Amino acid sequence: MTNTVGYSAIVGALVVSLVGAVIAFAAVRTGRSGLAALGRRASYVVFGLACLANLTMVYALVTHDFSVGYVAQVGSRSTPMFYTVISLWSSLDGSILFWGLIIAGYTAAVVYIHRSRYRELMPAVAGTLLVVNAFFWLLLAGPANPFTQVFPVPADGPGPNPLLQNHPFMGLHPPLLYLGYVGLAVPFAFGIAALITGKLGGDWIRAVRRWTMAPWIFLTCGIVAGAWWSYEVLGWGGYWAWDPVENASFLPWLTATAFLHSIMVQERRQTLKTWNILLVVATFLLTLFGTFLTRSGILASVHAFTEGLIGPFFLGFITFVLLASLVLLAWRTDELKSEPTLDSVASRETAFLLNNLLLVAFTFTVLLGTMYPLIAEAVRGVKVSVGAPYFNRMSVPISLALVFLAGVGPALPWRRGSPELLSRKFVWPSAVALLAGVGFWLLGARDFWTWLTLVLAVLAVGLLWGEFWRPARARMQAQGEGMGRALASLTLKNRRRYGGYVVHLGIVVMAVGIALSATYRKEREVTLAIGQSAEFAGYVVRLDSLYAGREAHRDFVEAAFGIGKGSEQLAVLTPRLNYYPMSDQPIGTPHVRTRPHEDLYLSLMAYARDGSTATVNIIVNPMVVWIWIGGGIVALGALFAISTVGTGGVTGRRPEIAVERDAQPIRAAVGGSD
Amino acid sequence: MISVKKIAVQHVLLVVALIAAVALAVQEGWGAQEESPAVTTEQVDPALEEQVREIAANLRCPTCRALSVLDSPSGMAQEMRGLIRDQLLSGKTPDEVTAYFVERYGEWILLQPKAEGFNWTVWLLPVLLLAGGLVFVLMTARRWVQQGQARAAEEGQEGEI
Repeated sequence: MTNTVGYSAIVGALVVSLVGAVIAFAAVRTGRSGLAALGRRASYVVFGLACLANLTMVYALVTHDFSVGYVAQVGSRSTPMFYTVISLWSSLDGSILFWGLIIAGYTAAVVYIHRSRYRELMPAVAGTLLVVNAFFWLLLAGPANPFTQVFPVPADGPGPNPLLQNHPFMGLHPPLLYLGYVGLAVPFAFGIAALITGKLGGDWIRAVRRWTMAPWIFLTCGIVAGAWWSYEVLGWGGYWAWDPVENASFLPWLTATAFLHSIMVQERRQTLKTWNILLVVATFLLTLFGTFLTRSGILASVHAFTEGLIGPFFLGFITFVLLASLVLLAWRTDELKSEPTLDSVASRETAFLLNNLLLVAFTFTVLLGTMYPLIAEAVRGVKVSVGAPYFNRMSVPISLALVFLAGVGPALPWRRGSPELLSRKFVWPSAVALLAGVGFWLLGARDFWTWLTLVLAVLAVGLLWGEFWRPARARMQAQGEGMGRALASLTLKNRRRYGGYVVHLGIVVMAVGIALSATYRKEREVTLAIGQSAEFAGYVVRLDSLYAGREAHRDFVEAAFGIGKGSEQLAVLTPRLNYYPMSDQPIGTPHVRTRPHEDLYLSLMAYARDGSTATVNIIVNPMVVWIWIGGGIVALGALFAISTVGTGGVTGRRPEIAVERDAQPIRAAVGGSD
Repeated sequence: MISVKKIAVQHVLLVVALIAAVALAVQEGWGAQEESPAVTTEQVDPALEEQVREIAANLRCPTCRALSVLDSPSGMAQEMRGLIRDQLLSGKTPDEVTAYFVERYGEWILLQPKAEGFNWTVWLLPVLLLAGGLVFVLMTARRWVQQGQARAAEEGQEGEI
């Protein structure tokens, strides 16, 4: 019964997506608003069916209905309720079902929000998104069907992958990531709609910004949350291993970031039209490709699920999207031409071009490194690995150039940078950065890249601060406002710009955290008897007790370590090893004591069977917490940048653009803050 | 009205305080690193440990997914770190130790492909792309400037007529 309901909803969603796509494209061709309305309704119906299919699965999971194939695969009577519900996305078929819900949700939201705007563009957007929907529902109706009938019905199941039920964060990291990943289909649909309708100018660029920012925020949070999860759960004291699937989530983030910057150039200067379409297509292709990597198991990875027919389906769809996009681009070549002009090479435009170059080169490097084992095996017939040492070496210089631009870009004016303006903006931050550089060197920063990161971070913060401070000072002088008030009214009136600068600050904070924690991490593995202590990096770590216990879904061994500095007692940390019935390897849960300047990270490695000794890995990680804080700043800045109060929400006009243009001479007078 | 000068001083102080905070935090980390940690269970030779770390960071843990022998908490990686230490103590050079693992597990054990033969592609293509892209971007920016000048000249002539 459950299977019938769930599978019918899937097939229904597939049929309605296909019919809806045909109707929507017919609306594009004929321009009839009745057909467009019908296409919108189809999107709502698909969303309704997607909800039904997902709720049916959750119901089956919660009621332990092991006649449902997916429940028999990941369910277990002993798994706690929370992990039972979130096991919806703990394995292949369920996660694709969840993707179906998200893509259907985005589709319904886009067509609803823009129901009375962009009349020419929207039917093509709806049609494109419904085609993407149809692909996911086709997967679910065929090779990834989660509602297969199991007979005889088993009494119990194995439960989800132990790693995925070891930390509550599994309830947050995957949905965030999926909301970002799948949401990037929306800007793609706008790009394709622009090509189909020939409306390559303002409308799609204006509409697409928020629809790119929203998934970008989700993806950013998802990646940072994943890094945090990895740090808190995997027990090696790191947060990013350049695992192929981590890379797969990072690739579309890079191109989406490039896109968010380059659409500003098109908005201002009506150029880079072809490039923007290429970026948005590449971003969507990278999300499909990333899914293909994750779901097909062609590259060994901690996230790989299973093999099967999914791979060929994805490759087919990727090829289709690529070819269709290129044909459309070729068809519109003439309309995509533009003749941009510039007054000086030292301008915001050049900074954006460099930003795009760096982000694309970064994407290419990560993609090449991820795929190189396959390429080398094909060409040389030898298995090779490409891991953290390669990616770190290649990405550090590119990342630092990006940190540099994060400060310099916003300080450069559009079109031209006059020498006086540049010197006024750059002299002080550069001087402070150089001074700080000498200071860091004297303090003992001898690692070149780390030193450079700190110097560039100071430079970027100084330049960005100038962008806030200079116009605020002008307001204070002109209107007699206090500093806080001037900053508040300034930023609230230009949320887009200042939100973006806050994002840049967050990135800089993250860069500092990453550089310091990577360079100055210290670790030591020690075996201690009960009552014995070790001294490491200023901490005294004493093994107080070692005990075993049982929870509903697992057994565990936990060690209690008293932590002190000198004679002062600071805390008791209790790292543990968890034993799940379906896994022969224990899954560790480290215990982390986080402080602003450093983390103390204890990971239980082994213990004597008689309970007399325990082996613990002690890791001291400086400034790690700033990576998470930086991620939070990025997310808040981005939210601020897309927030609107009283200007009509997503569909509303953005008066700030008009203000920006009109106010050009005034602002130039108050310090050229643009 | 609040004096602008006073606030300028305030914000300079704020920036200085922020830098000082970062500096203090990192100095604490760096300072601690120079102390030799007294471990009760074993005596550790810091130079040897540094060599072990360098070698282990470039070797793949065979039983893990993407972790190095240095980072992996698994038993296998622990044994391999021991093996590296033993071999270094027996007088082998770091290169010889690495070669030992390559002989045993194949090139796959190295976490970065050796820069030789076809492997150059993975090292050089990104650099070439970046270099070529840089030339292209600067040429594009210059072309835009020239277009701007040409248009300004045209408009100037029209104005005269």
